[in-house]
Amino acid sequence: MRAYVLRRSLLAVLQCLMVLVTVFAVGSLLPGDTADVLRGELGTSEQVASLRSQLGLDEPAWARFWHWLGQLLTGDFGHSLTTGLPVGDDIGRRIGVTLLLGVPALILVTVLAPLLGTVSGLREGSRVDRTLNTATVLLHAVPEFVLGLLLVASVSLAAGLLPATAVGMDTGALLAQPAVLVLPVTVLTARHLCDLARQIRAGVAAGRHGAVAGHLRLLGMRERTVVLRHVLPGALGPAAQQFARCVEGLLGGTVLVEAVFGFRGLGSGFVEAVQNRDLPQVQTYALLFTGTAVAVNLLGDLAAHRLAPYREVAA
Amino acid sequence: MTHARTEPVHRPELGNRPGPGRRSVLAAGGALALAASSGLLTGCGADGKDGGGGDRFRAAFTAGGSQETLDPHIAPNFVDQARAKALYDTLGTYADDMSVRKRLAESWESDASGTRWRIRLRKADFHDGKPVTAKDVLYSYRRAADPATGSPSQVLLSAIDFDATRAEGARSVLFVLKAPNFEFPTVFAGPGTEIIPDGTRDFRKPVGSGPFTFVSFTPGGTARYRRWADHWDGAPHIAELEIVPANEESARLNALLSGQVHYASDMAGASVDRLKKEGSTRLLTAERATAQQLLLRTGRKPFDDPRLVRAVQLGLDREALVRVALAGHGEAGNDLFGMGLRGYPQGLRPRERDVGEARSLVKAAGAEGLHITVETSSVDATWETAADLMARQLREVGLKLTANTRAASTYFSEIRTQGVAAFNTTSTLPVSDFLQQRVRGGAARNQTQYASKKFDALLERSRTTRDEKDRPALLARAQKIARDESGLLVWAFSDANDAIGPSVRGLRAAPPNSHDWARFDRVRIG
Repeated sequence: MRAYVLRRSLLAVLQCLMVLVTVFAVGSLLPGDTADVLRGELGTSEQVASLRSQLGLDEPAWARFWHWLGQLLTGDFGHSLTTGLPVGDDIGRRIGVTLLLGVPALILVTVLAPLLGTVSGLREGSRVDRTLNTATVLLHAVPEFVLGLLLVASVSLAAGLLPATAVGMDTGALLAQPAVLVLPVTVLTARHLCDLARQIRAGVAAGRHGAVAGHLRLLGMRERTVVLRHVLPGALGPAAQQFARCVEGLLGGTVLVEAVFGFRGLGSGFVEAVQNRDLPQVQTYALLFTGTAVAVNLLGDLAAHRLAPYREVAA
Repeated sequence: MTHARTEPVHRPELGNRPGPGRRSVLAAGGALALAASSGLLTGCGADGKDGGGGDRFRAAFTAGGSQETLDPHIAPNFVDQARAKALYDTLGTYADDMSVRKRLAESWESDASGTRWRIRLRKADFHDGKPVTAKDVLYSYRRAADPATGSPSQVLLSAIDFDATRAEGARSVLFVLKAPNFEFPTVFAGPGTEIIPDGTRDFRKPVGSGPFTFVSFTPGGTARYRRWADHWDGAPHIAELEIVPANEESARLNALLSGQVHYASDMAGASVDRLKKEGSTRLLTAERATAQQLLLRTGRKPFDDPRLVRAVQLGLDREALVRVALAGHGEAGNDLFGMGLRGYPQGLRPRERDVGEARSLVKAAGAEGLHITVETSSVDATWETAADLMARQLREVGLKLTANTRAASTYFSEIRTQGVAAFNTTSTLPVSDFLQQRVRGGAARNQTQYASKKFDALLERSRTTRDEKDRPALLARAQKIARDESGLLVWAFSDANDAIGPSVRGLRAAPPNSHDWARFDRVRIG
């Protein structure tokens, strides 16, 4: 187990590094740079050139990357080219907003998916199962931004039940008015809940009819014990890996949800950083996202390893 | 003023509509629900004090891509301008027709040569209580004239000879220009010419002389201001102003419809149509605010052949472009910037489509079936539709047009050097400034690379002519030449739309860049 953890962790660091190099390379290939973006339509070529040298963008790309990486090793994420402020400040301000969206969504998925999946799986073909199935398929089919706009139009604008956007609200304001979070968290939860619940349902259903369960029943084990001790862990093993993907998906989902609801979290920050060609910022976001994805995948694999050690766990 | 705006201050949308019979039951139901929801939601978005007397006004703008500093001399985006207006003052300001009105400057006059301009400052104070003096003006203008600062007015300000320019006492400045210019006062109202206290370098806690004082700002986030009771033009009616970022148009619209903000800038397309149906929100539509241009680079093949420029001019069906690409929200252009503004020539015949003539011009140029790429992007939602329609129209005259879509945030920078044809838009500006900056030979923003000695000479003469009647005549002659030759085709003018909530009073539709646009010190809520 320890060797496995070590090998996976080393691989994770390597993965992050590869992503950083790729992101920087792709970022440098994008047309234009921060100087072009900032001077915009009203700038002259001289002003753009002057800003470019002020920002150090006239240095070769590899030199800038190397410089940024060197800083990173000392725990410094560099300075934003757009605002001139430390990148860490910007991310620090935004991370709270994204956590306020992501953590409740994650908790909802964690609690509801096994519940719905098990209920459905144990009552295959029943009315409850069919209803849940239809609901999850339908919900899954609606793109997140469409779902967001539909909810705003109906729940907020027409019925006046919940706030429509989080425009102009920071973490503090959101904490003071958690009602703002209800719709975006719903949107963020929906798709992943459907994914995970359906997978657990399939696992439970298969496990219940499997040879092992049959054998245990023959040995006289009570049905409840069969389900709790054997069927559910068997279904949750692969679900743990799906769950890890769910965390990545939630991070990706915030890009859309933040845009629709006007949040200023990591998702919108990343989009703006790319639009502004602000590479130090883009790099830091990439590192954060990759790091999270790699870490949760690692944890997911370890959990799967734990829950179903007899399965081959692919790195 | 050639284009007086007679719109009332409040534009009750419903009052302008044909009659209740055409209003659908659904829309009325929506309005009712909206009224109910805004009542419910006042506590959510702002601070719960919305209803009474007007306390905190919230305005949502697009903010991505701006430099995100409160340095007023860098003001590339509308949000920067809105923030600058709150904190700072300028010497002059633009009326709706882009003529210059007095602001911090009480008066100005030139000598007979047009090279020496004396301005007198009114009595005004900065937020720290110090008076606005000639020294502050000189410092601000020097700073904005420095190319390294990045002011959009830098090119215009560079006409000032700062070595000879001097303060004459505390409240008078003598500007000496490198060359005569009787249009010089347009500089006083230019974006990026705000007056800041002498020696200001740090804009983290900015001090200005504008109607609001600084409270807080996070780059990319909310800017908060408080009313300044001692403002020379009278204190604002609202206690606080918040400029909040919301880059997604749907988020701005939903925030407005639900009462979370009072003002949502830059509405387009579907949002405009939706707002027109809402009874309780109002649109502020500045007609002809944006000049939609097709730039043909006359300095390069194939448009170095004037016959092809002419062929495109004659091949376009502008009415159809307005109908389709602008969905009717605009007006056909006549290949000149500034329709309705001071200095736009009177009595021009509209450009009419002439397929036969265009065809023979293309044939004469030996360019039949010539393939032309036009640069476009999602900067303006109308461009791609316009490009498609233009391609169809120009196919009839024998030209094959295809669009090359570029990234929005770097588009303007890229088309400066690349391509032979490109879409462009410009907000309202004084006509003479536009011609100086974009059409004069060798000008920094002359993207079509047009260079005509005749045009330049006429433009120069109009600037250096003292007589108020001769100047527009000379300018008109210059424009008529540029219209045919410059390759800068203004195919339409599109409307600019901002939207306000039902409780907002004291705002009217005004073109972006003008004085009354996003002027929140005259706003009342409730």
